[in-house]
Amino acid sequence: VQRVRTCSAPLTSTACYSSASSTQEEPQNPSSSSPAENIRLSQSCLERLAEIMEKGEYLRIAVEGGGCSGFQYKFAVDTVRNEDDRVFEKNGVEIIVDQDSLEFVKGSTIDFSQELIRSSFQVLKNPRAEHGCSCGSSFSVKI
Amino acid sequence: VSRRKILPTRAALTLTPSAVNKVKQLLQNKPDHIGLKVGVRTRGCNGLTYTLDYTKEKDKSDEEVLQDGVRVFIEKKAQLTLLGTEMDFVETKLSSEFVFNNPNIKGTCGCGESFNI
Repeated sequence: VQRVRTCSAPLTSTACYSSASSTQEEPQNPSSSSPAENIRLSQSCLERLAEIMEKGEYLRIAVEGGGCSGFQYKFAVDTVRNEDDRVFEKNGVEIIVDQDSLEFVKGSTIDFSQELIRSSFQVLKNPRAEHGCSCGSSFSVKI
Repeated sequence: VSRRKILPTRAALTLTPSAVNKVKQLLQNKPDHIGLKVGVRTRGCNGLTYTLDYTKEKDKSDEEVLQDGVRVFIEKKAQLTLLGTEMDFVETKLSSEFVFNNPNIKGTCGCGESFNI
């Protein structure tokens, strides 16, 4: 019996996680879909994630209202995938973004920036974001 | 002639143990650097932001803070704004940063990077 999955868009990442059908492996090839829909992971981000994440842990990126420019990025370590999450996988590290947040971050690059004063994950080159806060955690949306 | 008055001197900047450890660790592989230099710069949505750099020498106008074997220098421009500040190092899984708990500031930006006095 095959389960019908209600995914419309041809996604590179595994979307619409249904709890019952997880045996099926989907080929994950980031180059096959339009780059504007994707989230890129920088080399430093991949290295850092490989370093800190244990098995079954993902980096969750969410966008919330707040910050000095209207919206802000939230980073968290999560072990749970929800149904509306999209998963971006590269070199064995996985990032999850929920569908609503994805609208605000698609096309951008996730980077791990290391400076003397602080090192943290950042969303860079977000095509949807207008000028943001200097620290890059907050942004406003292009209309 | 009146007797010399003894005034208590307080360090302009105090470091928490985690900050001391981190500074030590940072300077370990850099024998030609003598410490870190803290400064402020006009940036961000709330006026000022902290800067942190390695330093090779003490400038004439720098305030030197020596605590638990680590040296931190404060730029002249930052001395008034930083007075009484506690420098902390906060490390979580996703980020690690130096945090300045500054009693002089009136407000900060949401992310805490930028502040005003």
